[in-house]
Amino acid sequence: MAHTMAALSKSSAGHTRPTGYRRARAAFASEWIKLRSLRSMLVLPLLAVVVCIGLADLVCSNYAANWKHLDAVRKASFVPFDTNIGFVVIGAIFLGMLGALVVTNEYGRGLIRTTLMATPQRGLVLAAKAVLTGLVAFTVSAVICFTAILTGQALLAGGHLPHVSLGDPGVLSHLLGAVCYMTAVALIGLFGAVLLRGSAAAAISGVFAVLFVLPVLTSGLPDDFLKRDLVPYLPVNLGGALYFTHPGHGPGVAGTGAAVVATAAWILVLGVAAALSLRGHDA
Amino acid sequence: MSAQAGTVPRRNISLDSRLRATWLSEWIKFRSVRSGPLNLLVTAAIMLFGAWLLDSQSRGGWAAMSPNARATFDPVATTFQAIALAQLFIGALGVMTVTGEYSSGLIRGTFLATPQRIQVLAMKALVFALVVWAWCTALSFPAFFLGQSLLSSPAEHVGIGDPGVLTAVFGAGLYLTCIGLLGLFIGVLVRRTPAALAALFGLVAVLPAALALLPSKIGSQLGEYLPGNAGGQAWHLLPGGAYTLGHWEGLGVLAAYVAAAALAAFALIKRRDA
Repeated sequence: MAHTMAALSKSSAGHTRPTGYRRARAAFASEWIKLRSLRSMLVLPLLAVVVCIGLADLVCSNYAANWKHLDAVRKASFVPFDTNIGFVVIGAIFLGMLGALVVTNEYGRGLIRTTLMATPQRGLVLAAKAVLTGLVAFTVSAVICFTAILTGQALLAGGHLPHVSLGDPGVLSHLLGAVCYMTAVALIGLFGAVLLRGSAAAAISGVFAVLFVLPVLTSGLPDDFLKRDLVPYLPVNLGGALYFTHPGHGPGVAGTGAAVVATAAWILVLGVAAALSLRGHDA
Repeated sequence: MSAQAGTVPRRNISLDSRLRATWLSEWIKFRSVRSGPLNLLVTAAIMLFGAWLLDSQSRGGWAAMSPNARATFDPVATTFQAIALAQLFIGALGVMTVTGEYSSGLIRGTFLATPQRIQVLAMKALVFALVVWAWCTALSFPAFFLGQSLLSSPAEHVGIGDPGVLTAVFGAGLYLTCIGLLGLFIGVLVRRTPAALAALFGLVAVLPAALALLPSKIGSQLGEYLPGNAGGQAWHLLPGGAYTLGHWEGLGVLAAYVAAAALAAFALIKRRDA
């Protein structure tokens, strides 16, 4: 009896103090299992690949087919890389939904309560989720962007239009900008869903509102301080500054350096707010 | 025998009282779900705030506007521009009116109580359409008057009696009702909240952006007949850019999308397990 008690107290004492490393590894492992067993994790990336590459190739082949009908002004203003990468405006929505669904699926099933019971270190749970989702989003975006550019530029080259190759100056860096922007949108969707306490309807609507409706609303604003000092730092416009080689120089466009810093700031601020909200609220 | 006696008169329930019962139960479900009143209040805030923000900004920036921008300035469409955001909330409300019932399992109770599924869906759509239409139409008048009072001279503004203006103000409410109904019927077709929301928003907000990337005429010609762009003509005073559809033609195109979705929804709701 005494022997069993001693063993019990010994084993429970052993359980109360797992090292930080082991705890983090366990959290990452459990988050990874949840992530890869999610059906949206299969459906959304597949949809994103088909829609994004399809759209990029459609646009490029459409330009190639209509090239001789375009007037001189449009021919002169044609930027092969920017025309090709324009699909990111649409593609980002899939990544945003992916990030949001990672959270809302867990809330919707009530699994979040088990998760937080197993790992009461809520900050760690969120960090593991964010890192793994970020890695998946980065990989998916990289596959999409590189394939879309390679096939799109091949289509342009086939039609004897101006085109670029990966080695040309600025191409790789703006391609990386597109990948990073899509990854950032996935993280914004994830943190936004945590802030909205896992409501699927609110999170999905929020992703669409930020990516598609805010630009429509702000396009109606006249050129004053709102447009000069606030609108360029909305996620959509930061994205444009990151992945377009010619984003324009008027109001509404931030410089590349400022865009990188502002995108990182969005993720950091939303991430901290999400962590605080997750710690402060009942799940 | 007594059990049979209890069931016999049930068959003779008049259509009238059956419809009234369904109407009542759909109304209770609509008003008791928290997202209903909340979404309607948010819509009101967006419409009024949008009219205030965009019109006061346009008034302030009028002097700096180019002659071209002044010529194409649409005082009614600028006032109602916030519909672009409000439609997400009304559309989401339409989607959740249906998908919320599916995800909570209440739909099985509903169909048990009223096996006439067509009647359930028709009453659901009717309750939704009446509430949303009344609310949004009642909103668009204060939004319009607020906006026009902010657009003082020299900025271009219109009165409610000017040609086409009253139609456009009513068009705002009708447009939002149609988008909400489209969401409701898509909700019946898809039955899951995230997927139905994505389908609705994709159709209304994303497809126009995708078509705008194409250089050929097909892009703009097809774009004109997408639900959001076509229906949006209802609350524009000037036909925007390449668009040639008028108020009622545009709204008619949107109504055709709603009718197609409704047809599919009525056909499927009878055939599928709840």
